[in-house]
Amino acid sequence: MPETLLNIQKLVFAYKNAGQTLAEVDFAVNTGEFVALVGRNGSGKTTLTRLAMALIKPASGTIYFQGKNTATMTPADMACGIGYVFQNPDRQIFRDTVAKEVAYGPQQLGFAPEAVNETVAWALSMTGLTELAGSFPRLLSRGQKQKVAIASAIAMQPKMLILDEPTSGQDPWDAQNLMELLTNLNQQGITIILVTHDMEIIAKYATRVAVLDRGHKVFDGTPSELFAGSHDIAAWGLLPPTAVALGQQLAGVNAQNETELVQQIMSIIKGRTGDYA
Amino acid sequence: MPKLAPLTKLILTAAVSVWALLIPTLTGQMALAAGQLLLLAFYRPTGKHWQAVSGLALFAALLAAIQYVFGSGLEFSLMSGLKMFVMSLVFVFMLATTRLQDLTAALVSQCRIPYEYAFMFTSALRFVPDFLEESQAVREAQACRGYVFRGNPLKRLMDYVAIVEPLVLRAVSRSETMAMSLELRGFGRKGRRQFTADVALSSPDYVAMIFMLVLTIGLAIV
Repeated sequence: MPETLLNIQKLVFAYKNAGQTLAEVDFAVNTGEFVALVGRNGSGKTTLTRLAMALIKPASGTIYFQGKNTATMTPADMACGIGYVFQNPDRQIFRDTVAKEVAYGPQQLGFAPEAVNETVAWALSMTGLTELAGSFPRLLSRGQKQKVAIASAIAMQPKMLILDEPTSGQDPWDAQNLMELLTNLNQQGITIILVTHDMEIIAKYATRVAVLDRGHKVFDGTPSELFAGSHDIAAWGLLPPTAVALGQQLAGVNAQNETELVQQIMSIIKGRTGDYA
Repeated sequence: MPKLAPLTKLILTAAVSVWALLIPTLTGQMALAAGQLLLLAFYRPTGKHWQAVSGLALFAALLAAIQYVFGSGLEFSLMSGLKMFVMSLVFVFMLATTRLQDLTAALVSQCRIPYEYAFMFTSALRFVPDFLEESQAVREAQACRGYVFRGNPLKRLMDYVAIVEPLVLRAVSRSETMAMSLELRGFGRKGRRQFTADVALSSPDYVAMIFMLVLTIGLAIV
């Protein structure tokens, strides 16, 4: 039975001079899940993750992490369990080499110098940045900077990683690389919460999707359920992935991703070829 | 409260500094501070502006305390603190009640300052909230990596130094982008420039200027 890692109950939040951003949201994440958090701009996705990280405090409601109420915790307390990767890597990199940047977290947690070096080496190797250990982070590409941010987060050995639109502004190759890295980390036991607008990524990598719309959680299930056609996802500001949209136009095809689409089309073609044989 | 033109507020800023230097008594300085706070209150500033005023008051108190600790008399220390407070408070009033584009227009069309210099001045002011936002972002990133904002002042100062470098680099990068964006939209082009801001003086401005002139002459004579 998987452990509930993050448990958010009846969470309410409102920014000053703005309407309610989150309205009684319930959201739980179990160990090992790869959850995508989606919704149109301003739906409350980033706010929800910032609340989980204790960067801001809710108006009401409770957040439990590993069964502990986080009401009195600071982001520094949360950092032992959750690694947070901001949308813009430039805003979180502040040291002059990649290795020093990655070492910052373990140093703050009071790791011994040898343990810091070992952890940094491991985090750099996991993210494929070993060669760039001595580089000046600001001169790296956006994809590499995002990897530095992820290496910095996993160096703190968190149980969960929250990433706020990590693939935005990246070319398809970098984005795919990054998603493969996250899948690898997930397979090694790190729970992932991914804030994204990219439906292709959700269809391909996420095991669960939660949709926020105007501060309310309107859907929580698998990507297949979301794209099955029984929900008006356009009303939530979402578009189906290309494979799903194409499948919906073809009789007898109900694919949730590219692989399924190809398999189902091939199966139909083989069936028809068989009819003529 | 009548709306004053940016030029009047610029003159007020200079006048208040002169008055702060001319007023010899503690009571006079306090009256000047109270007058400015009253004037600011009439314009209904936001909580952020009152926060800035509180910060200035704290800094003034600190300045007075340092002077007193290092051997100056109590009255002299309080005078120094108050002078600093009234001279900087008037800037809060001007910035809280004037749009930056109006200020640029007044500097160029009424004070005859070259547009590039006036723009440089107002852009520098515009960067202050951006700088604070960037600083907050770096602090959040540090907090997410286990940094606790506690400890002795020296430790905090050393930790703050760590964020100065990225802030400066970002400021340079942002100013480069801004410079390119400005040039792409005709900044630096020769010829007549059109301002949409209405910065013309009206009767309340003339009344305010006469009052400032009379008070300055009065204080100089007394």
